[in-house]
Amino acid sequence: MKSILTHQLFRRFITAAAVLAVVAVMTGPAGSTEAPTAGFTGSFSERSSFFGFFETVRWVPFLFLALVFFGVWTLWLSRGAQIKSGVSQVMQVPRAATQRRPVRWGIGVVLLFVALILPHVINDPFWQAAMVEQIAVYVLLAIGLNVVVGFAGLLDLGFVAFYAIGAYVTAWVTGALPTPPLFGIHMDPFFAIPIAIVIVMVAGIVLGVPTLRLRGDYLAIVTLGFGEIITIFANNLYGITGGSQGTSLIPHFSLHIGPIKYVWGLAPVPYYYLTLVFVVIFLLAFSLLEHSRVGRAWTAIREDEVAAESVGINPLKYKVMAFAIGASTAGFAGVVTASQSNNIFPSSFSLAFSINILVLVIFGGMGSIFGVVLGALLIQTGSMYLLHSPPAGYQSSDLYIYLGALLVVMMIFRPAGLVPSRRRRREIVLSEAGEGHMNEVLTGDQP
Amino acid sequence: MSSDRIFDVESVTLRFGGVVSLNDVSLHQNRGEILAVIGPNGAGKTSLFNSLTGVYQPQEGSITFLGRDSKPISIIGKKAHRVSSAGVARTFQASRMFSALTAFENVKIGAESHKGIGVLGAMLKGPATRRGEKTSDLKTAQLLDFVGLTDKANIVSASLSYGDRRRLEIARGLATDPQVLLLDEPAAGTNPSEKVQLTELIRKVRDVMGVSILLIEHDMKLVMSLAERLYVLNFGSVIAQGTPAEIRANDAVIEAYLGSSADQTKGA
Repeated sequence: MKSILTHQLFRRFITAAAVLAVVAVMTGPAGSTEAPTAGFTGSFSERSSFFGFFETVRWVPFLFLALVFFGVWTLWLSRGAQIKSGVSQVMQVPRAATQRRPVRWGIGVVLLFVALILPHVINDPFWQAAMVEQIAVYVLLAIGLNVVVGFAGLLDLGFVAFYAIGAYVTAWVTGALPTPPLFGIHMDPFFAIPIAIVIVMVAGIVLGVPTLRLRGDYLAIVTLGFGEIITIFANNLYGITGGSQGTSLIPHFSLHIGPIKYVWGLAPVPYYYLTLVFVVIFLLAFSLLEHSRVGRAWTAIREDEVAAESVGINPLKYKVMAFAIGASTAGFAGVVTASQSNNIFPSSFSLAFSINILVLVIFGGMGSIFGVVLGALLIQTGSMYLLHSPPAGYQSSDLYIYLGALLVVMMIFRPAGLVPSRRRRREIVLSEAGEGHMNEVLTGDQP
Repeated sequence: MSSDRIFDVESVTLRFGGVVSLNDVSLHQNRGEILAVIGPNGAGKTSLFNSLTGVYQPQEGSITFLGRDSKPISIIGKKAHRVSSAGVARTFQASRMFSALTAFENVKIGAESHKGIGVLGAMLKGPATRRGEKTSDLKTAQLLDFVGLTDKANIVSASLSYGDRRRLEIARGLATDPQVLLLDEPAAGTNPSEKVQLTELIRKVRDVMGVSILLIEHDMKLVMSLAERLYVLNFGSVIAQGTPAEIRANDAVIEAYLGSSADQTKGA
């Protein structure tokens, strides 16, 4: 079996070399119209100093790095022999979940405290704005998508659609669109929250009922299409949505209860606190949901749909529900973004947005609320940092290359995510050890 | 009397394209009976189970199930989860646990699946939800005790032994409050002492819980000691029925199992 072994090693090396070749091109010189391939060839042939140590042709250090990557990878995989022991370790059941609860609450309270004082510690207007628009809102979106992808195991590539619907509903009810608002009244964005959530949930159900009978890849394609359809509608229904210019007339949130009068203005900090309140509410609601009958039913469906049906669980009902619940957070996030920035454009609701949220969920750990929040915080803070103080040669459009690379590395070394959920981790270990039967077709002695 | 038939299967035919899996199968089970279906590999036993539980939809014939209030229910055209709610529980040939969940969680999912969904209740964790959780926990604990898995309640089901998985599947099925429990080769992969325990357990399910048992099994010793009546399937058709003693003496059965000439079937 020696030939197979060499073959595997060879393939692994080719992969490592390809990854580093991409890195070389990413960090290499730019091309131009006169010499379109210069950026590519120059990435390998140009002479440059390697960490300031010695000057050489670029491909030499990258070949060296490819070898290092290959070595680390091989060493990592050699731990595969320990997978059996890994099984027994993961299979050990936590000392009653109740014992860990105080610890989790403790961490939660500390994090909340940090979140509360953070805007007072950071005074940089860039970061204050980023904390709302790029971090808090994305955390919200990530915990919403986690319900769909992590809990129910449905791959949704059109999550942006619900976000867009939330934003456009806000524009609609506040009277910012060419089309007349609901009941002819220009409402405060606060009223847009329930309306948007209801409309988005209905959209989730309408999309879900026919499509959630599909499995895996098929569902991903349909949701992908749905996301595109919504964006194209927003772009083309000029008389209703304002077309590609969108609208810039969405008012801020405001409260008028008796003597209390408060308007959320241009300053990001009030929006930060508003979003934080909702993040906490959704977090609590979803973690209760995870450990409820509903959460267990989702796990059952994810692991073995046939067995789940045999104990009376209606998979379609639970999947549609996960879809609608996930969508509702996206709808809410849409309301916040629309009102905070005052304007919306169809171009901001792109496929890349859906992918970005999915990356947060996968990176953090599908099915693990804590992991997903942490993943969203880290990635979004990281990408904002790159935007704020970009390293030499970095362009904002490079972000997705780095996110993609990050995901590839994650899939190799930590496939269950940064802070994996216990159940998910068991599932992965089981399928690696070949003991699970998650993907098995109907058993029977018949065709 | 026919009114006491928990299952009444009439002229059921199931095809997959050109392959006829069940051919004009008629059989019935009386309430409270331990009934077995035997037959060589590929005879259509599991297809029959899948038809009885709504996983497969036969093209012809009728399956009537006597539900909880002795109301006759037609199974064909119903989805699997509806059949389960009506009172039909089952286990699978290669046991299908929710492998990453503990034994306790597995049974609990069965215990609570027929309740309404209650998302809002779950998110707010109101008193009704708490009470529901308590009831399910209690029922789960009782069932685990019933099948003798109390000390393994917190073990992840994938690391249970085959015998224990079988018991767990039975407990999970019973958690749905069934009228009838369908067992697809419960003794497969178990050792002799587990087999004895399993036989006792199955009898106990019927005697104590009053649940009728429909059984597919290859282990003849187990079948003959447990079943009160048997049907024999071969190539999708019923070739014999009767008490264990009658079946043992039936020529058609012997032929089906041993072959009419030298070509012996490898299974059975």
